[in-house]
Amino acid sequence: MRALALILPALALAAAPAAAGDLVVQVRAAGGAPVPNAVVTLYPGGRPSPLGPAGSYQIAQRDLQFSPFVLVVPIGADVSFPNFDNVRHHVYSFSPARRFELRLYAREQTRSVHFDRPGIVPLGCNIHDNMIAFIDVVDTAFAARTDGAGTARFTAIPGSQVLVRIWHPYLRAPGNQLELRVAVPDHGTAAQAVPVNLRPPPRPGSAY
Amino acid sequence: MFTHIRTRLAILYAGLFALALGLVAVALYIVIAATSERQVRDELVASSTVFDRLLELRTRELGNAAGLLSRDFGFRAAVATGDPGTAVSALDNLKARLGLRTAFIVGMDGHVAGLSDPRQRADAAALWTALDAGRTSGIAGLGGVPSHVVAAPIMAPNLVGWVVFANDLGPDQMHRLEQLSAIPINARVLVRRQGHGWTSGERSPDDAAIASFVDARIGDGTPARLDEESGTAIALARPLQGMNDGESAALLIRYPLAEALAPYLPLQIAMGMTGLIGLILVIFGSWRLSLSLTRPISLLDHAAQRMEEGETVEVKVETRDEIGRLAQSFNRMAGGIAEREKRITQLAFNDSLTGLPNRAFFRQHLDLELRQAERRGSRGLALLCVDLDNFKAVNDTLGHPVGDELLRAVATRLSASVGDAMVARLGGDEFIIILSRRDAHEAAGQVAGRLIAALAEPFEIAGQELSAGASIGIAMAPGDGADADTLLKHADLALYQAKGEGGGTYRFFEDEMNARAQSRHRLEADLRRAVAGGEFELYFQPLFDLETNRIGSFEALIRWNHPTRGLVAPDEFIPLAEETGLIVPIGSWVIQEACRHAVKWPDDVRVAVNVSSVQFRKPGLANILMQALAASGLDPKRLEVEITESIFLESSEALIAVLHSLRNMGIRIALDDFGTGYSSLSYLQSFPFDKIKIDRSFIQQMLSRSGSTAIVHAITDLARALGMETTAEGVENPEQLAELRLHGCSSVQGYLFSRPVKAAGVFAALDASNPRRDVA
Repeated sequence: MRALALILPALALAAAPAAAGDLVVQVRAAGGAPVPNAVVTLYPGGRPSPLGPAGSYQIAQRDLQFSPFVLVVPIGADVSFPNFDNVRHHVYSFSPARRFELRLYAREQTRSVHFDRPGIVPLGCNIHDNMIAFIDVVDTAFAARTDGAGTARFTAIPGSQVLVRIWHPYLRAPGNQLELRVAVPDHGTAAQAVPVNLRPPPRPGSAY
Repeated sequence: MFTHIRTRLAILYAGLFALALGLVAVALYIVIAATSERQVRDELVASSTVFDRLLELRTRELGNAAGLLSRDFGFRAAVATGDPGTAVSALDNLKARLGLRTAFIVGMDGHVAGLSDPRQRADAAALWTALDAGRTSGIAGLGGVPSHVVAAPIMAPNLVGWVVFANDLGPDQMHRLEQLSAIPINARVLVRRQGHGWTSGERSPDDAAIASFVDARIGDGTPARLDEESGTAIALARPLQGMNDGESAALLIRYPLAEALAPYLPLQIAMGMTGLIGLILVIFGSWRLSLSLTRPISLLDHAAQRMEEGETVEVKVETRDEIGRLAQSFNRMAGGIAEREKRITQLAFNDSLTGLPNRAFFRQHLDLELRQAERRGSRGLALLCVDLDNFKAVNDTLGHPVGDELLRAVATRLSASVGDAMVARLGGDEFIIILSRRDAHEAAGQVAGRLIAALAEPFEIAGQELSAGASIGIAMAPGDGADADTLLKHADLALYQAKGEGGGTYRFFEDEMNARAQSRHRLEADLRRAVAGGEFELYFQPLFDLETNRIGSFEALIRWNHPTRGLVAPDEFIPLAEETGLIVPIGSWVIQEACRHAVKWPDDVRVAVNVSSVQFRKPGLANILMQALAASGLDPKRLEVEITESIFLESSEALIAVLHSLRNMGIRIALDDFGTGYSSLSYLQSFPFDKIKIDRSFIQQMLSRSGSTAIVHAITDLARALGMETTAEGVENPEQLAELRLHGCSSVQGYLFSRPVKAAGVFAALDASNPRRDVA
């Protein structure tokens, strides 16, 4: 649903240029397994696409976990952090994109943070080390998170050359992201498979 | 090889002991070496395990610390927000708290914070790959020093970097590990980058050997020997968890064997010392033992040598073992030899009858005395030759046992009378005395006088009083002779002189005696020549028969017509002939010659021959007589054999048997010189003589001493009673003849009728005295 919200403005933009194709990016791990929760962002012609109005986003704290694990938001979005647990949480992020700290708020309390710079914002809870989530603040309209099949779909992509960035929290690459250029046809759908190497996720309770 | 048993024994024992000790020492050394090496090996394995455990503990400790730090919110904030100053100060804080040398941060982008040394920074940056691969601990070289590296990721909340704690494993740190071990091991950690050699935090000359050892043994994990410059060591190499790929790490634990054996050094020294002391004791002991064993043997050896040289030896018996018994046997043997030697010497040098020195001993002693006298010069020496006057008679009449007894008594008396002079028995009744004094000449005379007086005293032997009587001849040295033989000869001559003078006296040797002896020798030589040369001639003295008043027989008397001395009387040569044994051929000649002449005489005229006792003692007298009779054809009845009483001095049954055999042949037997002997009458009992010839001494004294007449009368009466004829010898005047006729004497002989005549004169004598024969 949120993906749709992102796509909508893109469709609106796509009306102006006559030629626009679709792109399906398939992210797979080394063993061929689909990689969900990867954020795929497209820069047609290498440039960010103008964003639509920022919606409302939330990352809930439930059962001592953030949900969702990865959230994609456009610049200027506000993300609320509702606490559904019986314990308090201390959500923080040291990310250069947005550094904040939501000190010890209890159940049914909601804090909200405004994100106005692009970048990855890792979220953690200072009380519960195992709680981790990522917010990708994007500066382009074409941004999507891979689903359970590791797939992200884009439609009506203007231009023929698209810079594709793939980010995943455990992606084994500098900045945890890959970039590749993809040719998008004027009509029809292009499929781009992206193999990635993933680090093993830190085990719960371990030193990592 | 060794001439002494003790040396052999000592060397043998010492050698055996040293060998045994050496074997023990070798065995001990082997055991010690094996034990200590095994201990060292065990300890090395244990130490390596301890090291692992320590490393593990340290890993956990550091890991905990790093984990804590990495989760510290402020620290995370500092690292995540790019505030290295704060982060490094937090690290320093923790370093001080944990006593860490090195702590740094490796960012996700490879940036290293917290290290100033560029080499360390480079090595730290190289850790990124391993850290990124998830390794959190291991060994890695940091600035050339093997270090124990422990890392913890910094989650903010995503991984932004690692906190890395590093503990260098250089000599100082390893020294702490070494102290934990029970034995003073030497431990070091080595690292090797791919394409490089093993390096450690320290440098030593053995690095090359160690590196090759580690290469060879790292997969093994068991201790092995490592040859170092300072000696052999037992070493163990085992791999350690390396931090980086392409970088190996190893733990090497060494223990020098010399040090492993060092604790046993006192034991070895003690063993060596006790061995040395033991060896000395064994040498000393075996030396003493062998001495105690061989000393008696040496003593025996020495004693045997001395015995060989003629000494009388006795070995001291010190023990009761075999050697002691050997010594006892040796002593018994030596004693036996000495005893036998003594007996042999006694037999050789002593007269067994009297116990006095014998002739051999005397000769030796005399030689010695003469030599001494010669050396001393003036000292005089007298040789007294003593001979008993009556011994022969005593021996003949009383038997040898009494004679022997008498000799013993004489020996005792001589020894008692001469003081310190030496008395020896030369044989028979002949004794000799050596008198060695300054005034030997005077002393010899005195001693001789004293001896003669002493021996004149009667001896009481076997209940009888015997008178020995002695004559002594004396020779002085060096005047009478320089050597023993001459002296003895001269003393003998002097004795002969004394004897010749009737005995019971002593004579000093004089040179004339020698001359006499020489003339005697000459006479003897002449006598021998005379027997062969026919210088003898028979004279015949008629025996006038008083009953028939005619010559009834002739006594054949020998005369010697000496070529230069003229006619020699029988008295002068018959004793010499008897002494020399020449009497036998002479007597034989007389018998033959007498028979040869007598056979020409009228049948009623007999011939009488004197036969010496010497002739009777030699065998064959009967044969000589028989041959003479057979050769001449003379009737045995016409042959009369005259014997003297002296023949009975050695009377024996053999003699009587010879007399009887002559009688059986028909020969008449007459007893000559009757009345001069000691027991004349007893002789008449022993043989039935045909005739008794009364000694001329009775006839000559008949008219002057009345006793003589009575004796002659008694003899004639006795003879008549015994059926024997009588002849009176030495009748020189008619008064004697008249008296003899009165007493009934059978016949007379003497100068009154006729001196001995030559064979040719016999017939004239017969014609003159037997006119009736012519008438008849």
